[in-house]
Amino acid sequence: MNYKAVIIGGSAGSFQVITRILHSLPPTFPLPVLLSLHRLKHIRSGFVEALSIKAGIPIVEPFDKEQIKPGKAYLAPANYHMYIELGNKIALSTEESVNHSRPSIDLSFITAAQVYREKLVGIILSGANRDGAYGLKKIKDLGGTVIVQDPAECQVKTMTEASLKLTKVDHIYSTQEIIKFLQNIKTTAL
Amino acid sequence: MIIRYEIGIVETRNVVKAILDTYGYDFRDYALTSFKRRLEQVIMNNGFKDADGLINRLTSNKDYFESFLHEITPETTEMFRDPSLWRTVRDEILPDLMKGGPTKPKLWVASFDSGEELYSLAIILKEAGFLSEVQLYASVISDKAIEKIKSGRIDAKELEVNDANYLRFIGKKNFSDYYYNENGQIVLDTSLVQGVNFVKLNTLYDNAPGGIKLILFRNQMIYYNQILQDKVLYQLSNSVVPGGYLSIGVKETLENTNSSNKFTVFNDLDKIYKKKTT
Repeated sequence: MNYKAVIIGGSAGSFQVITRILHSLPPTFPLPVLLSLHRLKHIRSGFVEALSIKAGIPIVEPFDKEQIKPGKAYLAPANYHMYIELGNKIALSTEESVNHSRPSIDLSFITAAQVYREKLVGIILSGANRDGAYGLKKIKDLGGTVIVQDPAECQVKTMTEASLKLTKVDHIYSTQEIIKFLQNIKTTAL
Repeated sequence: MIIRYEIGIVETRNVVKAILDTYGYDFRDYALTSFKRRLEQVIMNNGFKDADGLINRLTSNKDYFESFLHEITPETTEMFRDPSLWRTVRDEILPDLMKGGPTKPKLWVASFDSGEELYSLAIILKEAGFLSEVQLYASVISDKAIEKIKSGRIDAKELEVNDANYLRFIGKKNFSDYYYNENGQIVLDTSLVQGVNFVKLNTLYDNAPGGIKLILFRNQMIYYNQILQDKVLYQLSNSVVPGGYLSIGVKETLENTNSSNKFTVFNDLDKIYKKKTT
């Protein structure tokens, strides 16, 4: 399968995993990486900087309607939902929280699934609530490839276990295996 | 888990067309993803069978259309969102606005706000002693929004975040001084918005008020595509006086819009622009 984008959702206990994944990506990584991570809603600065320290690719908190480009990571900004819009753009929203979360992983995943369909990889990492489980199912239903971090390795298992309960996933991977998968990923030109 | 009812792009466009044909309200250039999502929400909340059910009701019942306009507009959900913005308005912008002559400066909450932006602005004006020294305008898309804002009723679950934001804003009082609890219903001090001029606008803002010194238009452009962003910003740039201020959402930008050359950046962090004088 040739892919167009990778989307990753995580919450409590996912920061180190994300850091390791981003560190492992080469500057030539051929896909955009969309990051929908739960974060403190009133703290606008610091997070993207912390993630950037060791990352192999640039990370931005996109502006609304920013064009999505390969080899770049897009972190959902604090207190906004991050949607993927037709035309390969980011669309932000201040609509009410979903699963007590804004950004909501479900909303990012659902909208990414509708745009990229079978050409999307969805990954759920450690987390303390069920946000993301439904979105991961949408990705799978629309033909995408879905991966869940091995709950045995997760600091908090709620999110991965909820995802596994809802969806027959393609892979249950350790962080190291997720990294290996991404490093070997095949692409289609955007 | 949420099981969502979903509609497609074609159905979304059908609803948009029915509204345009029947009432002349133009939603064609609303951002597709969020507008579709809001239509799905409206269909679920009202128990319509599908998009056609919504269209039938919309086209046959004008009163329902008024409710629809209210429902389709996202709630603002937070008072004093981005406290640093409100501190900048209080500490840097208001003193500048109040320097002018004897006419009261006009301030306009231009977004279709559910009240949170307007009450926040009214509170900082009151604390600065300027509430009766300015003319406040607020945009609404439906009469229902006026009712809602004038009632002062906000969701109790928003209290915690409003209170936390007010603390970070570092106001003069306690947030609890601005509301009372009526059997579990939180009611804001409605005297704050007594003098507000409500301006009913359509989606294209083509009858916007003029001579404005401060426009708050935060987090509404995110619901537009770039065509509508350009159109509405053009109207707003005509509304604001030279040297006046335009505040947009912290993740919105005038860059890439055709109004960018009319403004200079006043505060990049909180996305406040100043209209050029020439």
